[in-house]
Amino acid sequence: MSIRRTAVTVTLLVALVAAVVASLSFGAVDVPFSNVIDILLGRDTPGPQTQIVEVLRLPRTVEALLVGAALGVAGALLQGALANPLASPDVIGVTGGAGFGAVLIIILYPDSIALLPVGALVFGLTAAALVFFIGFAGSGGGGIGRVILAGIAIASLFGAGTASLMAAYPDRVPSAIFFLVGGLTSTGWNTLDQVWPYLAVGFIVAAFMIRPLDRLLLGDDVASSLGSKPRTIRLVAAFAAAVLASAAAAIAGLLSFLGLVVPHVVRLAGGTNNHTFVVPVSAIGGAALLVAADTLARVVRAPIEMPVGPFMVLLGVPLFLWLLRKAV
Amino acid sequence: MTPLLEASGVEVTIGGTEILRGADLTLEAGELVAVVGPNGAGKSTFARAFCGLRRPDAGTVRWSGTDLADLKGRKLARLRAFVPQRAQVPNGVRVSDAVRIGRSAHLKPLQGFTADDRETIANSIARAGMVGFEDRMLSTLSGGEMQRVQIAVGLAQGAPVLVADEPTAQLDLGATAQVSKLLRRLVADGLGVVLIVHDLALAAAIADRVVVMCDGRTIATGPPSEVLQSQLIADVWGVEAELVRHQGRSGLHVEWLEPTRAESS
Amino acid sequence: MTFTSQPRYRALLLVPFLLLLAMAIAFAPTASAQSKAPNRIVALTPFSANTMAYLGVKPAAVGQTLGGDKRLAPVLRTSKVLKLSHPNGPNLEQLINQRAQLVFTSSQWRKGTQSMRNLGMRVVETEPRTIGQVYAQTRRIAEIINRKARGNRFLSQMKRETRQATAGISKRPKVLLLLGVGQTPFTFLENSWGGQIMKAAGGRMITGGATSSGGFARISDEEVLVANPDVIVAVPHANTRDIPKLIDFMKNNPAWESTPAARKDQIYVSTDNSMLQAGTDVARTIRVVRKQYLRNWK
Repeated sequence: MSIRRTAVTVTLLVALVAAVVASLSFGAVDVPFSNVIDILLGRDTPGPQTQIVEVLRLPRTVEALLVGAALGVAGALLQGALANPLASPDVIGVTGGAGFGAVLIIILYPDSIALLPVGALVFGLTAAALVFFIGFAGSGGGGIGRVILAGIAIASLFGAGTASLMAAYPDRVPSAIFFLVGGLTSTGWNTLDQVWPYLAVGFIVAAFMIRPLDRLLLGDDVASSLGSKPRTIRLVAAFAAAVLASAAAAIAGLLSFLGLVVPHVVRLAGGTNNHTFVVPVSAIGGAALLVAADTLARVVRAPIEMPVGPFMVLLGVPLFLWLLRKAV
Repeated sequence: MTPLLEASGVEVTIGGTEILRGADLTLEAGELVAVVGPNGAGKSTFARAFCGLRRPDAGTVRWSGTDLADLKGRKLARLRAFVPQRAQVPNGVRVSDAVRIGRSAHLKPLQGFTADDRETIANSIARAGMVGFEDRMLSTLSGGEMQRVQIAVGLAQGAPVLVADEPTAQLDLGATAQVSKLLRRLVADGLGVVLIVHDLALAAAIADRVVVMCDGRTIATGPPSEVLQSQLIADVWGVEAELVRHQGRSGLHVEWLEPTRAESS
Repeated sequence: MTFTSQPRYRALLLVPFLLLLAMAIAFAPTASAQSKAPNRIVALTPFSANTMAYLGVKPAAVGQTLGGDKRLAPVLRTSKVLKLSHPNGPNLEQLINQRAQLVFTSSQWRKGTQSMRNLGMRVVETEPRTIGQVYAQTRRIAEIINRKARGNRFLSQMKRETRQATAGISKRPKVLLLLGVGQTPFTFLENSWGGQIMKAAGGRMITGGATSSGGFARISDEEVLVANPDVIVAVPHANTRDIPKLIDFMKNNPAWESTPAARKDQIYVSTDNSMLQAGTDVARTIRVVRKQYLRNWK
């Protein structure tokens, strides 16, 4: 019922706002909540607390929000385009490529560490392009099985490259591992400055793909009858997902799980497969999950920052299992 | 008056094999044309070709006078609705959602539904006889109900022509009768309907005209009683049969087996 | 059946995104006003911390070192300690809270360097890898903190002590220096800090003049057997309390049983990080190696 969908949307929005507030208020250093408000409203006196909130926590919160939304949308797009519940950005090779690109910079050009986002983006998109080229080309192209197999092959290829680099330079591995495990860092607005155009493109294209993906739901024939080209829809939707996932990897490393599970949680909670609901609400859900998980990762063993992956799983999996049981 | 659809000399080759070698069909508003023929005659291919799902290799197709080559995507969607044989039944989609998707062909990418659109959606559901089913999940529907929903989706497109590929092939007697009545109602409202059917008796009962296909060609077209003569049936299907109509009922008397000595005619 | 009308639905979803975008633009980082406070320095490496201490300037905070604070100059034992972790090094919030204006860091935490610079801090990488670099960087630190004269005196003293520590080397045993204990450890190469100390103390690395980018390389048990080391020194990854047990474990490694090191009971474990990171205690480290491990101290 639409009441159900509205309830799910509102709940996730509230969760997102709460997570954002927590992310800005908590950290290794105690900043009283009233100060946080003052700082955000510009009513403060400059000092370390202002710097902490404005330069460290605010960009990081925004990054977590955008990365979570990007991965949620990417997963929803791919699951719709490939009509496969196991589809996620990993499946089209993006994560493998981005990992390779980033580790390449970390290990071979550690002095140019600022190029890390570029490396991740370039190789993430290259990997996706290879998968599209193999999966969508030719007369049998566009078939879901073929795209997924191509994705697995390309991902393995880049994964092997990454492992080889790490084996050749074992002393640089710890820095690489942090990226591979996935996590945000408080680096100010730098990375976002470099990467935001890709996020913008990805989100905009995704918005235009919502209705076409719905048309695919009823089958390729009905979609054609309605004036759409199924192969084009799949390609463009997958492209948008690749751009979003590459940009997300450039900022936050390789975060699996989110792109796969959040759209399912949204579908189970809302009781619908409609992309008009699933895609935007996956954005909200993904953002809420990552912001909340990142806050926990920063706070639980402060001042040490833990990897964000386990916290995402901790928050997401029980909810997912509960919804799964209810649905059966 | 320009026919809604004029297809002539349509040829289609798939993977090196000539499937259609020259097929013709005309459709006017308010008439139901049934396309019949044995398996492999090219009926589905023909329908997909003139519907633009697969561009013909030769021949002309005109929709309300405009050539198919000049009609793309959305424009074509407003001229004809194609209802496929085996529809995908997705999870998590309701009847109302499905019909809305059918209506979305009318909208520009980020445009919202107007009151007009909502009315059309409600109407399509009503005309297909699916009032009360709006919130049902597609996966919970019976074969007949799903077929009517597909027709509702087609109606929501707002096109004057409905092309249905074997809509009753998987349905039982009762459901087939329901869909038949539905199609005749639509035709009475002024829609043009092209139906691919296997069942000759059904075709004879509900079609205004019948087009017989064989080996990729249309070999006969006309009212059912004129076209579906025993000789033609024997030539095309290789079976001795006779179409019988009596008091509003139709049936095909078929010689399924060789006549045995024990039977006397 | 009616639906919540689409446009309102969509607008609802856009609101939080627009809000945060607006916040991001409005609160783009502004340079925080530098107050006229005295020079606040954070020294993340034991080398930079100790150098500062011996030059008479106490840093505001020091970095946590592996192997505890045994190598820290006594005056620093009461300093604020910042925990270090990959990839940024120190927690940036804590760093800001320390009002750090200058940070001495290591190339290990390079990812954090840019962030620190963005926060308006001056960042200097000091991680000497050779004894020569220790001298050069001591001079540099002295210049930066404005203690040139004292720095020069400290430097002469350091050089003198090191000369004494490396004099009269009669024996040059073959040494295997390992990082980690257990499955496939890494060996120190000549261009690692531990390798340089060994070389200065008269040890001959079984890996010869081999170098690699990080200063470490994998080594197989076969290569160890062929090389036949007289002395084996292991540097475990973490603090271990049970050194005898570790030594026993290594002695019982069948692959090493036949080496002179095992037979003559010259297997050792080094638990402070003096082999891993350079400090100001070069002479002392060399003496310890000569006395305890190489046994070539007269």
